[in-house]
Amino acid sequence: MENRNEGTPMTQAVPSLRRAVRLAREEIAVAVEDLWFAYREGKWILQGVHLQVPAGGFWTIMGPSGAGKTTLMRIMAGLLPFPKGRVFLLGHPLQGELEPALRRLIGYIPQQLGLVRGLTALENVLLGSLARHPGWRTALGFFPRAEIERAMALLEMLDLADKAEEKVFRLSGGERQRVAIARALMQDPQLILADEFVSDLDLPRAAQVLAFVHRLARERGLTVILNLHEIQLVQEFADHVVILKEGQVVFESPALDLSWGLFREIMEGKE
Amino acid sequence: MSLKHGAVHGTWSGLEWRRWRELGFSLGLVALLAWLLNGMGFFEAERWMRGGVNLVRFAQEMFPPDVRVLPTIAGALLETLQMAFAGTLLGFLLSFPLGVLGSRTLFPAGVVAVVRLVVAALRTVPSLLWAVLMVILVGLGPLAGTLALAFYTVGYLAKLYAELFEAIDPEILEAMRGVGAKRRHLIRFVLWPESANAILSQLLFMLEYNVRASTLLGLVGAGGIGFYMQAYLGTMAYARLTTVLLAVLLLVIGMDALSAWIRRRYLLRP
Repeated sequence: MENRNEGTPMTQAVPSLRRAVRLAREEIAVAVEDLWFAYREGKWILQGVHLQVPAGGFWTIMGPSGAGKTTLMRIMAGLLPFPKGRVFLLGHPLQGELEPALRRLIGYIPQQLGLVRGLTALENVLLGSLARHPGWRTALGFFPRAEIERAMALLEMLDLADKAEEKVFRLSGGERQRVAIARALMQDPQLILADEFVSDLDLPRAAQVLAFVHRLARERGLTVILNLHEIQLVQEFADHVVILKEGQVVFESPALDLSWGLFREIMEGKE
Repeated sequence: MSLKHGAVHGTWSGLEWRRWRELGFSLGLVALLAWLLNGMGFFEAERWMRGGVNLVRFAQEMFPPDVRVLPTIAGALLETLQMAFAGTLLGFLLSFPLGVLGSRTLFPAGVVAVVRLVVAALRTVPSLLWAVLMVILVGLGPLAGTLALAFYTVGYLAKLYAELFEAIDPEILEAMRGVGAKRRHLIRFVLWPESANAILSQLLFMLEYNVRASTLLGLVGAGGIGFYMQAYLGTMAYARLTTVLLAVLLLVIGMDALSAWIRRRYLLRP
């Protein structure tokens, strides 16, 4: 299988850069063009996905299990090389490993949050600053004082200041979500990608967390892309919704246009 | 209906066949054991009678223990303990990086294969043989014993740690890569804290094992209480040997108690 990520020929790289400049001018935060992906040869998980998420947008991706939502999210986070297609993040063509400067701008929250359970809430939040401080000092556990103060301020903002020294495995589900959000914010991102990160919470709590993320995104002008299951949450918070099925975008519209009935029809394959 | 009945009957006979097969396998194992033991003379009554008499005579010579040797063996006992602690800690310091290098979580297959081969080779050599090799290398005394225990420890702990690191939730590693963490950060902030409980638990197990093993290393001149065991056994001073054995027993019980306390204090209470 050809892998465009590993050593893109110059002939392809130049048009990618031109396209990236145009996308940046048009204020497109994430552009996915004809994206294909397979874990095993011939078994396509994503089949020609197209997306254009404007800067400052609050988008959700929905779809049944196995539709390719998590795979798409991991690719957009620069964590999974893809064989075919083009992805532009914040005006940069995605090729191989993300540069630290770009990595810092993308906050990724996986489904199970990816927190280190044996570290405290404060330590987990501090990890969000690693792209700024990749040296040996931080590897030995010494973070700059300014970063520690910043992490504490974030925990305070998220109402977790009193839990800063608690190990993460002692925190409740809702508290862990907030630690994960704080870690992402610690990166000072322009784009937040979150993969069903509220799926373990009941609906009222999930709504609370999303309301917070929504407010924060509006205040800071962040672009947010979420994988979500609950249509109520999508209708309440998202600007735009994309439905993925068997690796293809089968529906895309402003979130308010997606009714229960339409959603059911799409999921049952009557579109 | 008949089809359903047939299916149930099929399941039943399948189950019954499996039970008979398991029973046959168990009986076969017992028969194999009996055959092996018989070849060694296990079922010869006369041998047991003769041995029993000798054992009683031996036990009579062992008791009462000769406690006058206690001041003599106290130093050797302490040396045994020192060897066990130093050997285990030195082994641990080498095992952790080898465990990291031997884990596919962070390193490519080539590096992992080489490290695992080295570790497997270390594990193949028993601690007593390590002691002989170290006596040749650094001469008689506790340094040889300490190094022997360290090498033996590396053989086991490095393998166990590599397996531990491979079992770490990949999502955590991915999330860390997502925030720009380098390999060094993954070791410090994921591998270590996520495995700390299991690392400590296995370290304690190794320490307990090494305390027991270190009592024997003196047999080959690698320091510790083993020297006196060999000397008293060789001169048939069985009453003195009993004192040594009881002292070792106390040491092992003490180590087990310390280990249990550390486990309770640090492992059970998060």
